[in-house]
Amino acid sequence: MRHVISVLLVTLLVSSCGGGGGGSTVPPSPGGTAPPPDPNPFSISDAEAVRFLRQATFGPTADSITRLKQTGYEGWIDEQILLPPSLELPYMDSQPEPEEFFELHTTRMDAWFQHAVTGSDQLRQRMAFALSEIMVISQLSVLARTPRGLADYYDVLIRHAFGNYRELMEKVTLHPAMGVYLSMLGNEKPDPERNIRPDENYARELMQLFTIGLVELNPDGSPRLDAGGNEIPTYDQGIIEGFAHVYTGWTFGGSSSFHSPSFLFTIPMQSFPEFHDTGEKRLLNGVVLPTGQSPEKDLADALDNIFFHDNVPPFVSLRLIQRLVTANPSPDYIERVAGVFRDDGTGQRGNLGAVVKAILLDDEARQPASDDTAGKLVEPIIRLTGLWRAFDAKARNGRFLFAAPEFFFSQAPLRAPSVFNFFTPFYSPPGELRSLGLVSPEMQITNETSTANVNNYLAVSTFLRNSSSPDLEDSEVFIDIESELELAADPGALVDRVADRLLAGRISSALHDEAAGMVGLIPEDEPAFRVAEAIHAIVTSPEYAYLR
Amino acid sequence: MTKGMMKRRTLLRLAASGGMATALYPFGSVRVLGQDAPFSDYRCLVNLFLFGGNDSFNLVIPRSEAEYNVYAQSRQNLALAREDLLPIFPSTTDGMEYGVHPSAGGLQTLFNSGQACIIANVGPLIAPVTKDDFLNGSSSIPPRLFSHNDQQDQWQTLKGRDNLVSGWAGRIADVISAATDQQTLPLNVSTAGTNLFQSGQDTVPYTISEEGADAYGALEDSVTLGTERRQAFQDYLAGGFPSVHARALAEVHQRSLDRADRVNEALALVPDLDTPFPASSLGAQLKIIARMIAVKDEFRMSRQIFFAAAGGFDTHDDQNALQPGLIANVTDSLAAFQTAMVEIGMADQVVTFTQSDFGRTLTSNGDGTDHGWGGHQLVTGNPVAGGEIYGRMPVLEIGGEDDATGGRIIPSLSADQYAATLARWFGVEESDIRLIAPNLENFAVQDLGFLG
Repeated sequence: MRHVISVLLVTLLVSSCGGGGGGSTVPPSPGGTAPPPDPNPFSISDAEAVRFLRQATFGPTADSITRLKQTGYEGWIDEQILLPPSLELPYMDSQPEPEEFFELHTTRMDAWFQHAVTGSDQLRQRMAFALSEIMVISQLSVLARTPRGLADYYDVLIRHAFGNYRELMEKVTLHPAMGVYLSMLGNEKPDPERNIRPDENYARELMQLFTIGLVELNPDGSPRLDAGGNEIPTYDQGIIEGFAHVYTGWTFGGSSSFHSPSFLFTIPMQSFPEFHDTGEKRLLNGVVLPTGQSPEKDLADALDNIFFHDNVPPFVSLRLIQRLVTANPSPDYIERVAGVFRDDGTGQRGNLGAVVKAILLDDEARQPASDDTAGKLVEPIIRLTGLWRAFDAKARNGRFLFAAPEFFFSQAPLRAPSVFNFFTPFYSPPGELRSLGLVSPEMQITNETSTANVNNYLAVSTFLRNSSSPDLEDSEVFIDIESELELAADPGALVDRVADRLLAGRISSALHDEAAGMVGLIPEDEPAFRVAEAIHAIVTSPEYAYLR
Repeated sequence: MTKGMMKRRTLLRLAASGGMATALYPFGSVRVLGQDAPFSDYRCLVNLFLFGGNDSFNLVIPRSEAEYNVYAQSRQNLALAREDLLPIFPSTTDGMEYGVHPSAGGLQTLFNSGQACIIANVGPLIAPVTKDDFLNGSSSIPPRLFSHNDQQDQWQTLKGRDNLVSGWAGRIADVISAATDQQTLPLNVSTAGTNLFQSGQDTVPYTISEEGADAYGALEDSVTLGTERRQAFQDYLAGGFPSVHARALAEVHQRSLDRADRVNEALALVPDLDTPFPASSLGAQLKIIARMIAVKDEFRMSRQIFFAAAGGFDTHDDQNALQPGLIANVTDSLAAFQTAMVEIGMADQVVTFTQSDFGRTLTSNGDGTDHGWGGHQLVTGNPVAGGEIYGRMPVLEIGGEDDATGGRIIPSLSADQYAATLARWFGVEESDIRLIAPNLENFAVQDLGFLG
């Protein structure tokens, strides 16, 4: 597949660069409607706006920059939180039924890209994507049979992106896709005669990966140490077994009996008390659940037990900060956000809307970066959405039918190789980052193969799929370069224009020279080729790939 | 978060000196003491990592009646039928008979013809652990048992309780870097993406795909302005960046661009092999590794370590349905790789070995198994003193002498002993072995003997 793209590039670029008829275009309307009295009451510069929007959205657009300047950061977040959610399953169900069942997975990708590229509820979609990389389920499992179940799970993340983390924990726990993925669904009480004991999978991963982690944390996210200087485990095997017994007796909702599952993937799981263990259960912090509780009561108590563990605020805060703002937040930054997680100011614990606001409004996110270790690599797939948003990309059929983004970007929504996501929060590549004691999660999916694949797809998306490309198929997503064509005669001005759209004009002179130099090698009568060249140079550069 | 360079070097140094009467020396000078004359031969290790925790107690199974009955009693509905087991015949007997999973025909053939051995019940250990030690919370138990990523890290780094962030193949590349400095590709090559196993202190592994090196299509000479575009991009990359993250990415671009054409031109010399491989990712990985070995002279390689991987072994659910395919994929791929090594005339110089997060519980959770500790591993290739089971097969009894609790088997051999045996064959000098396997000194047996 990847090689197909490479070959495609070779064959098409040789013959058809620039395409026909790009030279004479309609000049863009300058400015549009009349500006409001003060378009920038908060004095947000273009560069500041682009930095914020790269943290909080799937990529800045001219419209989003304008809106952010009008509302200010906090007003923009408040406005975003109130927007109605764009959901995947209703979108999927509104689309024509594909010929083959498995193509529904492509419809799910379509839904995701629709919302990421064109949705107005950008912050909610970014949060959902971040949450999908914490509370991981994956199509690359037995869930390959249920694209609609995957979409419905993602919709839980979208709906609860600004909700309460405790409620999200419960929705996730009882979602049948999670139930199948981490095998809580169908988990039964022990049967000592047959050497059968409850499945420990969900018990372990809910704590290790979704909520508290393996060692006790300080409020700033650093490991708490005992008197001997050792890390303190958060739980032992006995506690795992306690939770494993809690999560017994659940199967698909709408099932007539425990062993006659309905296979309904879009309603919560239901309990069958006769398959639930009713013994005592040892949980965290010395809590023991009494005998005889119902499945629902045991579950509610167990989720409370986890949710109120001191680790949850710094654990979740670090992971969300890493997805949105910086790979290596200072301990103080983590502690400030964790404080809001503990109490949003109204006494509520786990208010994700307040948490994301704290993350984005923090000085460490808004003040100029202190040094060149700040920030992060932008996730590969968000480099693509950034290009598509900046240049208003679409396909003639209105769809984003991208079957396998992971082949090129080493990631795609709900397609991680395991519950450990595409990368760990603590990945530190050999070299400068490791020697400085810094992490870069995204570097775990950055290697000699992946860099070529990312750039190949971006090359196709610029050179071969732009608004001047000939013979575009109805399903091909292409970028709109009409307003750049008029600058094609002037390489420097053209590169400046592209840099404005992708980097808020903050382009290094080296990249500017590289891009303009390449543009200058192309005959003036191939303006679309020139524009594509300028965009390609910037969008495949390390400068575009990091966020500071 | 990880520690800084000095801290890690200190740890490595301490690990190296241990309780022995060895002077503390800075890491840099270890290499001066170590192997630095060029190797006169070629040797290659291939690590096949089975992600998720392979249930190897259903891969190698006792066939003797008494021991089989213990196994069947423990495993209940997950037990394989005795008559379905494929018999294997170890040259040295412990008095019992053994067989392998019915889907492991590839393993059976390799084992009975002396080209494979089984390492019994091996796992991460800091020092030998008895059942009493376990129940009393001994400090010899590696931290974070039963956790996937942590136990993968243990296998790949052998860090024990230290904060090592280099893998043992990475450290091998470090200590023999002088002896291999004629090589024009990194010693460590992965077909399964980034991994800790091959990540050194000073050396960085190289990643290829199942088809070879992935090239940058727009920078190819055959593309309009491709040559100029490539030069412009490389000049730009060389100029530096005001971000540690951008610099890290730029370095990967540079390495990728530097190698892709060379690798693909070399691979074009062996466009295909006669040996058929399974139509799986693992089959494709082992095939490209075989082709890379076939063209090793193009890169003046004398020592190579490859990392391949297969996933899906975390069989909490549906184990009886999933395991036949998982095991067939691994053992058929190993058998195909051995055939391919014969085809290219390299069978005497290549050793393949498996690792996996952990073994799995003997007990069932209804239709699957949970995270355990010790498990069996496989080593294949002509250099292997094959047709043997090395180490002691555990007692597969719930609550028995080898059961930590709940059917989690305490390893009787350590991942350090396993790695040290492989590293010694590979050519790491004895004085450097402790850098590779820091916990080895805590074990009486320094070499498991499966490589002669």
